[in-house]
Amino acid sequence: MRAYLAFTKKEFTENWRTYKLPILLVVFLLFGMMSPLLAKLTPELLKSLSDTGGVVITLPEPTAMDAWAQFFKNVGQMGMLAIIIVFSGLMATEFSKGTLVNMLTKGMKRHTVVLSKLTAATVIWTVSFLLCLAVSYAYTAYFWDMGTLHYAFLSFFSLWLFGEFLISLLIFGGILFKSLMGSLLFCGGVIVAMTILNIIPNITRYNPSSLSGATLELLNGQKGLSEFMPAFVICAVLIIVFSAASITLFNKKQI
Amino acid sequence: MPFDLTPYLPFLIPLAVIEVGLTIASLIHVLTHKTYRTGNRVLWVVLSFVQIIGPVLYFIIGRDDGGKD
Amino acid sequence: MDILSISNLSKSFGQTRVIDGISFSVPEHAVFGFIGANGAGKTTTMKMILGLLKADGGEVAVCGEKVTFGATKTNRHIGYLPDVPEFYNYMRPKEYLRLCGEITGLPHTSINNRCDELLELVGLAGVRKKIGGFSRGMKQRLGVAQALLNEPKLLICDEPTSALDPVGRKEILDILRQISRKTTVIFSTHILSDVERICNQAAVLNKGKIALAGTLADLKARHKADSLHIEFVSAADKARFISVYGLSAEQSETGITLRGGDIEGIEAKALQILAQNDILPIRLEVAESTIESLFLEVVQ
Repeated sequence: MRAYLAFTKKEFTENWRTYKLPILLVVFLLFGMMSPLLAKLTPELLKSLSDTGGVVITLPEPTAMDAWAQFFKNVGQMGMLAIIIVFSGLMATEFSKGTLVNMLTKGMKRHTVVLSKLTAATVIWTVSFLLCLAVSYAYTAYFWDMGTLHYAFLSFFSLWLFGEFLISLLIFGGILFKSLMGSLLFCGGVIVAMTILNIIPNITRYNPSSLSGATLELLNGQKGLSEFMPAFVICAVLIIVFSAASITLFNKKQI
Repeated sequence: MPFDLTPYLPFLIPLAVIEVGLTIASLIHVLTHKTYRTGNRVLWVVLSFVQIIGPVLYFIIGRDDGGKD
Repeated sequence: MDILSISNLSKSFGQTRVIDGISFSVPEHAVFGFIGANGAGKTTTMKMILGLLKADGGEVAVCGEKVTFGATKTNRHIGYLPDVPEFYNYMRPKEYLRLCGEITGLPHTSINNRCDELLELVGLAGVRKKIGGFSRGMKQRLGVAQALLNEPKLLICDEPTSALDPVGRKEILDILRQISRKTTVIFSTHILSDVERICNQAAVLNKGKIALAGTLADLKARHKADSLHIEFVSAADKARFISVYGLSAEQSETGITLRGGDIEGIEAKALQILAQNDILPIRLEVAESTIESLFLEVVQ
């Protein structure tokens, strides 16, 4: 337990001093501001385009839901990309730099390493996400009438859960290939595989990838909860499976 | 018709603060360190002024972690 | 009691058999030199002792306890200094030692004192800069400090001096000599003069096998090199000597090395020739067996 706390503290120190944590906070703060801003700007931009083209387009006034659509798109794509870039070296750099040797020969359990990293990454991702959400919510509420948000908690939770899924993939890939590239390619490979799977009809219900943005339809009430429930469950199960597999795999790894 | 900025002020002010903050942070770091993982001092000083992207890029790929205090 | 005993240990990487059934043991309070050329398998052996690599066969016991691959309990007796110790660059030396102390389970109350004590020992007290700005030698010294943190019975150092300049090497050797009063030290090296400076036991690893092992005094006695070296004032003197003495083994510009089983006889004969011919050499010495000559002998 003490080793876990000490190593988790080390993870936070590392993420802070290597500027990963500050960068993520700034980036997600910007995403939070960007979403309502884009929603507000898009009609203006289109209007200025149509002025020069001579085509008259009647545009509906943007609504709160447009801001949330932007939010799901930005966080679901660029936000996830930021997570992947920042956390791709989570396990890999420890291997490539050989910094774990001293820790493990000091008697630290290998599963402690994995759990500490998972904890630190989870906390950092959660804080970044909540910051982004809070900023976005504040601006949206300031500019528009919020209207009804269906299943607000679950819709946002789905984005968070998908980020968590990526973190577990990055840790597993990092241990499997012991390199940053391996970690990136493994995570990217799984995402590509999930995208390809979506070709099969009706599979989106079960595909965790639908949690990275498609749950907007949950928020705006276009789809019911049952449409996404299987994806939620599968994603949560996969996170646990990959985390457990990471520990098992790491225990067998030669360093 | 001049574009009316007033409705966007709640965005613009914090954005400006963040951008200037990032540029200053990045500039300080570039100028107080001698070595960089990629690129050189001139490049990073210039890029520090490229809003948001430049400083973020510097801290991710330019900063040398073997840095002296 | 033997702190470390290895029996019949072997390890292959793919087709290559890196360690081929080696056995040796290290008694308490020894300073044990583990000698081998680059790539002889020294690091592999050490990593198996630490349970970081899985042995294909054989057994390793530390303080009488068997080493198992993965999280081995025997590591609580061991301090390990890797060949190139890597630290977290963004930390300061004391922060790093504190982290190690927490992980290894030192009592809260003593961590601070122990860290200060060790930083003092390795000459890093008062160094405030981050580890990223350390020189090779400083990192090596911090490596010794972290290895000694839990007061290990056995300190294993993997080539602690090979990447260092003469000053750094001397510092590390002095530290090792100092701690050898309390701790058994094993260190691998290919720098033979280091072994002669501080070791009292040694083993030579060659092609995956132990070619030689024992106390340093023993080894030297067993492989007494029989050679007499004479250095002359000029090449002309050397030529005169050779014309009387007859054939010779090795020659340099103005020197000659005589070899043979009966070194006293050779010495007497040489002195006689020198006196009779009025040749005055600059230097005349019976070469003592060195670890280097031993090493070259067994490796060839």
